Amino acid sequence: MPELLEVKNLSVSFDTPGGIVQAVRDVSFSLRAGETLAVVGESGCGKSVLCKSIMKLLPPSASIRSGSILVKGADITGYRERDMQMLRGKLFSMILQDPLTALNPVMPVGGQIAEAVKVLKPKISKAELKARVVELLTLVGIDRPEERMKMYPCHFSGGMRQRIVLAAALAGNPDILFADEPTTALDVTIQAQILSLLGSIQKELHTAVIFVTHDLGIVKRIADRVAVMYAGKIIETGTAEEILTDPRHPYTWGLLQSLPSCSKGKDTLYTIPGMPPALINLPKGDAFACRNAYALGIDYEEEPPMFRVTDTHYAATWLLDPRAPETDAGLVCCGDHTPKPPDGSSENISKNNAIQNTRYCPARAVYSEIGAEHLYKNTETVDAEVDKNDKHGEILLDVQHLSRTFSIAKKLSVNAVDDVSFQIRRGEIFGLVGESGSGKSTVARCIMNICRPSGRGTGNVKRHVKLQEGLHKAAGKHPDAAADIRTREAPGTGEMRPGRILYKGVDIWDGRQFRANKRMLGTTRQIIFQDSNSSLNPRMKVCDIIAEPMKIWNITPPRGSHRAEAGFQMHYVGLDASCLDKYPAELSGGQRQRVAIARALAMEPELLVADEPVAALDVSIQAQIVNLFRHLQKEHGFSFLFIAHDLAMVEFLCDRVGVMYQGRLVETGTVGEVFANPRHEYTKKLLSAMQRDIFPQTRNKRQ
Amino acid sequence: MRHKIIYVILSIFLLSVMVFYMARLAPGDPLASYYGDRAEKMSPKERKWAEDKLGLNDPVTVQYVRWLDRAFHGDFGISYKYKMDVMEVIRERMGNTLLLGGIGFFLTFGLSLLLGVLCTWHEDRMLDRVICKVGTVTSCIPEFWLSLVLILIFAVNLKWLPSSGAYTIGKEDDTADRIWHLILPMTVVVLGHLWYYAYMVRNKLLEEVRADYVLLARVKGIGKRSIMFRHCLRNILPSYLSIMAVSVPHILGGTYIVEMVFSYPGLGTLSYESARYQDYNLLMVLCLMSGSLVILCNMAAQAISEKIDPGITHTE
Repeated sequence: MPELLEVKNLSVSFDTPGGIVQAVRDVSFSLRAGETLAVVGESGCGKSVLCKSIMKLLPPSASIRSGSILVKGADITGYRERDMQMLRGKLFSMILQDPLTALNPVMPVGGQIAEAVKVLKPKISKAELKARVVELLTLVGIDRPEERMKMYPCHFSGGMRQRIVLAAALAGNPDILFADEPTTALDVTIQAQILSLLGSIQKELHTAVIFVTHDLGIVKRIADRVAVMYAGKIIETGTAEEILTDPRHPYTWGLLQSLPSCSKGKDTLYTIPGMPPALINLPKGDAFACRNAYALGIDYEEEPPMFRVTDTHYAATWLLDPRAPETDAGLVCCGDHTPKPPDGSSENISKNNAIQNTRYCPARAVYSEIGAEHLYKNTETVDAEVDKNDKHGEILLDVQHLSRTFSIAKKLSVNAVDDVSFQIRRGEIFGLVGESGSGKSTVARCIMNICRPSGRGTGNVKRHVKLQEGLHKAAGKHPDAAADIRTREAPGTGEMRPGRILYKGVDIWDGRQFRANKRMLGTTRQIIFQDSNSSLNPRMKVCDIIAEPMKIWNITPPRGSHRAEAGFQMHYVGLDASCLDKYPAELSGGQRQRVAIARALAMEPELLVADEPVAALDVSIQAQIVNLFRHLQKEHGFSFLFIAHDLAMVEFLCDRVGVMYQGRLVETGTVGEVFANPRHEYTKKLLSAMQRDIFPQTRNKRQ
Repeated sequence: MRHKIIYVILSIFLLSVMVFYMARLAPGDPLASYYGDRAEKMSPKERKWAEDKLGLNDPVTVQYVRWLDRAFHGDFGISYKYKMDVMEVIRERMGNTLLLGGIGFFLTFGLSLLLGVLCTWHEDRMLDRVICKVGTVTSCIPEFWLSLVLILIFAVNLKWLPSSGAYTIGKEDDTADRIWHLILPMTVVVLGHLWYYAYMVRNKLLEEVRADYVLLARVKGIGKRSIMFRHCLRNILPSYLSIMAVSVPHILGGTYIVEMVFSYPGLGTLSYESARYQDYNLLMVLCLMSGSLVILCNMAAQAISEKIDPGITHTE
């Protein structure tokens, strides 16, 4: 019986003005019915392109250079758009990364699913169609489907929308479902829900799934087999078990070690240095060689072929060649994960005597370390004790009973932040976690004088009735039962103490005190936003962006000129001086975030607020940035409010943590306390959703 | 809602004040339009009597209050030039302008939608490029020049089409004759505005076809045509409709110029004449009419976009 999907030596390239981009290079894999294949790799490694090229969804500038795609034994490589249209929906379907944009905003969701049903059965009767839509919505776990099918996408939350996208994708009973990072844009708890939904549906409908992700943590939960992609090539493939417990390629080691849970109790998170290469001009030899600490001489000359490890496990690295030296590398973090020495079973290389043995000597990585990693490797151990002492320092920021209400319509308002109080001491890192919409960002904005807390209006102060205590208690006991939006009558006359934010004893929302301390408040508090793409002015050069706050506050740069100062700050955050005259669009996401950090640090802040600074970045880049934060905080000793929804990052970085849920701060405590012994239901839920279990499990299996 | 009504009344009131004062600031002799050539030969005494009769000797404020008072009673005065009730004069011409402007309006929008879809469908291929190039050129040609060239070619040289008027004398009720006369002015009105809107549709559609939901629709196996018409067009329709509403005055302004060049007996020529001949009462009403149209259209645009966007209306 032929395989469901077989891809042989597929190469896809894009014609761009800058040259030919080889997005997918010589990829081969196969998929059986009902199987889950996870495709893993950093962004820009051709994972999405691979999926889209199989479905022929790429723009006209892309073309399949070579290779073939066989579906159930039939070659579809040469199919035209019309033929593909017949296959899409029925044979294969796809769910996309961002559920917020994947649905047509002006069409009821039922209609969008019905459309997909009609493609399969054009003559279906109205009643049958409706029954099918209801059936699909029930399948993906949407309550009251009859009612909901008439609603528009804007009435659903991100997780619900992803369920609806899934329903639409499953309407034609596809044999293969492509899932292109379907959970990356979602919160941890929702992520877990969608993953288990996907698993159960797959069992029920016996659909094969190709799951694209950059998060190896997810892989363990769902995948049968894993393909690791780098620079457009599959560099390691095997069963999930094999990849997670016995990875052979240095890149897979790096990916596994980048998981924050892997660096628990360490000073720095493990990172893979550098960035994936641009796919326009690929370097000679192994594309990963320059980031590879275990690179051999031959890696710079010749691309490694696939070496067989077991019948299901293959990896493309010269380390598996019988002539390669044994490495002590591998998953150092997980103790018992030293990879086996390469066994002699590699067949591909056989008797190629032309390759001299000397080429199998380890060569030094040529990746030019641009300061960052170096800088803090030397200093990181010094300040550990100073850090401890600072913990009992004076209170720098005191948030008292902060509330913020947004009104949607006349009688409808949302309590974005509800009676939140916490303190940050000097030199402390305070983490604020919670799902999106829980009010974390609003707190940050209130602290930075961007968004006015409720009850601190000028003139006519409208005070809102404090929410019924009963509702709060219900929310505490059954997090799911509480509504997102709480309705109530128009603002009443009830008294409520207006919240205060004291920064160094100054009430920042008191007009007079604010004006008196304007300079101090403006220079010693700095913020870093989530999306560096939109928070940096695209028409300003990097050096101007970094020096701008100094110009605004008329500060004489300590290093002579503004430009010299900008250059220094950039070096400090690990950016090359050649970036000084670049525009933000020319930098990668991680580099832009470094610019944002440099801009904030140039002012020598005493309080740094970072609003999800790493959420938009790749896992390995996330780790680089978090390392940088940790190092900089030790050097500077500023207080740090770190907002995130990634618990592992918070656990690694922060001293104390606050958990926000539906606008309320439900739990605060030191990281150790909260993570070891969560009190609130929601915290427990969050922690259980965190994929912290993958290594302990694999360890047990090996023993 | 109440705010909106107050806003409309206030803006119309301010408009009337401004037009009233500014018309009287302009140089010219209103008697000339009432008495024609005789006005030049009048003795100062006769002149004074005539001015008194038309109420032109009172201070402007008094004149305005008197006008306002009469206007509230539905009396907008008489036209000096036509010596008829102002509303009568306007009623006669209104039909002609509505015909030209109305048909021109819907033609412009229908065609621009069509062109926009066509361009998007053939994005970056031959047809799209040709339409874009030609469109850019036509949109740069001034209307009065285009009218003159068209008259020269089709009316003077080829003698296929009439160069002026709305109908042949004596054939007022002949529909075919009316359409015959409409062709040239209509061409100018439509050509002058077409690309401006077609380009807007094209850009908006190109944005839509790159959206994620189009990708999902393709994945569902839906054909290109239904994606374009059922998904993309539906998404640009709210903004397109509100643009349509806002641009009613824009196209109306275009017809005014065209009417002048083709001596088409519509409101455009009438406004021009009333301003030129100091026909105060007529000018007032015409200005207020176009002003109210602008304001109402803007409000309609707002209402349309609020109605269509499910995000605004369907809050539970």
